[in-house]
Amino acid sequence: MTPIVDRAKAQASRLVPMPRVPRAALVLLAVVAVLPLVGNAYIMSVLIKVGLHAVIAMGLVLLTGLAGQVSLGQGIFYGTGAYVSALLCLRFGISPWLAMPLAAAASGLLAAPIGRAILRLKGIIVAGVTLTVNLIFFYLVVSVSDLTGGATGLSQIPRFEYPRIVSYTTFVFYAVWLLAVVCLILTANLAASRVGRALKSVNILGGGTEDTAQVLGIDVMHFKVAAYVGAAVFAGVAGSVYAHYTSVIEPHTFSVQTSVLVAIMVVLGGVTSPWGAIVGSALIVGLTELLREVAPIILGGPTGAYELVAYGVVLVVSLLFLPSGLCSLPTRIEEWKRGRRL
Amino acid sequence: MSIRRDMRSVLAVARGGHGPLVEYRGLSVSYGELLAVNDVSFSVERGEILCVIGPNGAGKTTLLRMTSGLLRPTGGEIWFDGLRVDRMPAHRIAAHGATQVFQDIQLFENMSVLDNVMTGAHSWTDTGYIGASLRLASAIDEERLMRRAAIQQLSALGLMGVLHEYPGALSWGEQKLVGLARALLCRPILLLLDEPYGGLDTEEIDRLSRTLRALKNEGMTILMVEHLTDIVMDVADRVVVLHYGEKLAEGTPDTIREDERVISTYLGD
Repeated sequence: MTPIVDRAKAQASRLVPMPRVPRAALVLLAVVAVLPLVGNAYIMSVLIKVGLHAVIAMGLVLLTGLAGQVSLGQGIFYGTGAYVSALLCLRFGISPWLAMPLAAAASGLLAAPIGRAILRLKGIIVAGVTLTVNLIFFYLVVSVSDLTGGATGLSQIPRFEYPRIVSYTTFVFYAVWLLAVVCLILTANLAASRVGRALKSVNILGGGTEDTAQVLGIDVMHFKVAAYVGAAVFAGVAGSVYAHYTSVIEPHTFSVQTSVLVAIMVVLGGVTSPWGAIVGSALIVGLTELLREVAPIILGGPTGAYELVAYGVVLVVSLLFLPSGLCSLPTRIEEWKRGRRL
Repeated sequence: MSIRRDMRSVLAVARGGHGPLVEYRGLSVSYGELLAVNDVSFSVERGEILCVIGPNGAGKTTLLRMTSGLLRPTGGEIWFDGLRVDRMPAHRIAAHGATQVFQDIQLFENMSVLDNVMTGAHSWTDTGYIGASLRLASAIDEERLMRRAAIQQLSALGLMGVLHEYPGALSWGEQKLVGLARALLCRPILLLLDEPYGGLDTEEIDRLSRTLRALKNEGMTILMVEHLTDIVMDVADRVVVLHYGEKLAEGTPDTIREDERVISTYLGD
């Protein structure tokens, strides 16, 4: 090949984004592609829930896993995404496809000042304050009923326009899991970069130190807020997709209970890996469905009675035996085998 | 990228190629009632190794933390390379070319040795959120540049064997060297060291002294605090003695050795 062609090729390659797609992500995509062929509508709807919560949880991988800031208030941004997206469509008649990025941006914009105020605090207090802000958000949404529809919420939210070759559920299923894989890749790329190292350096839970970060030229507050905004954008996109999927939203969906569940998901799955978000979400959503459908049949009593107990048990067992989450299981087994050989 | 740092050194020369690199003017700080540093004035000249000595509680570490911006003085001024820095956030002082190695090193436990050192390159690189998350070609190029710089630094300090280890697996001496490598990857013009010789054996002490002299010969200015006075006298160009937050004496190691007040306070036996 001539040098000119070589140079042109080199220049072209500089313009093209080069996502490092982990092989596991490709396997996941393949599984996702065939699932609608074997699953019924109920299974599809459960898997959509898993995917949406995985996206929110992946935000926590950014915020807690990388930057070490705990949040029990992701419901705020999940809700903001859903309400902004729904209202943009209902009031201004814009396409859900356009509303989705705007809703995500709105979540991010809301997160910046909240993050700036909250993240001055240290450690576990941050968790408490985010939880409180989530409570305030909930009551705010309920009370501004002219805009939000109050406790009953909003309905008749338009669906995404899509090529009608599959059912809407199947389409949303694909969209959600594509989104989850994109978030997974973005998070994994970020973690292994200059930005990821800066985020890890301010992670005082995981072994970073703020003093050192500062003397290396890292603006600690900037990166903490950035992680908070990033997590909010993830939650905002998930909220928007949720709104246009169900066509009905109500404030309860974005309450503290959801926020705490998402936090439990990342603890279960493993907070330092984006895969942990998917594993944790699958486990918690699966458990919830199982308990709602099966437990009352076996044990009697009303639906929803056993969920909280089960979350508690699962969380405690996980913290006792796999403190780094289910994602660390392969490494643990590897270590255990090696230990036996020695 | 590296152009930014080149510009910085050009600017540094333009701004004050002459005159001291650091100047303390009537510096004071108090923790509540306790006056930890009281009206201290001295300068650090360009390209010298200056040691601040004194017993525990003399205000040495406090002085370093104020220089790197981690602590605000309650009185007086600090000038660094023609800039007043006593009210400047620490990360901006670092970006102007001053970095510190702490007494307890504080390696990031959540990163490998290589990543720890690469973090040092933060201030002269500029890969952002979009470049990093999409792995744009420019980000990959810069990542390679940082990695190369880090590996070069680690190999110069004989640390290639622990490249992928986590800090928990390192000996104390290795941790100190990794901390130094990380600081050097900032490409500082001023290196602040808090008791760099603490806990090292004789061989490691010799190696560190050689490294510090080599850095000085490359034009770096080093300000360190130390209580091991014998080593200090060997490596330092000048010495400042602090005593209960006040400057007791200042001069070359030889004049300090003969200073009556210093002898009666520490060096005598």
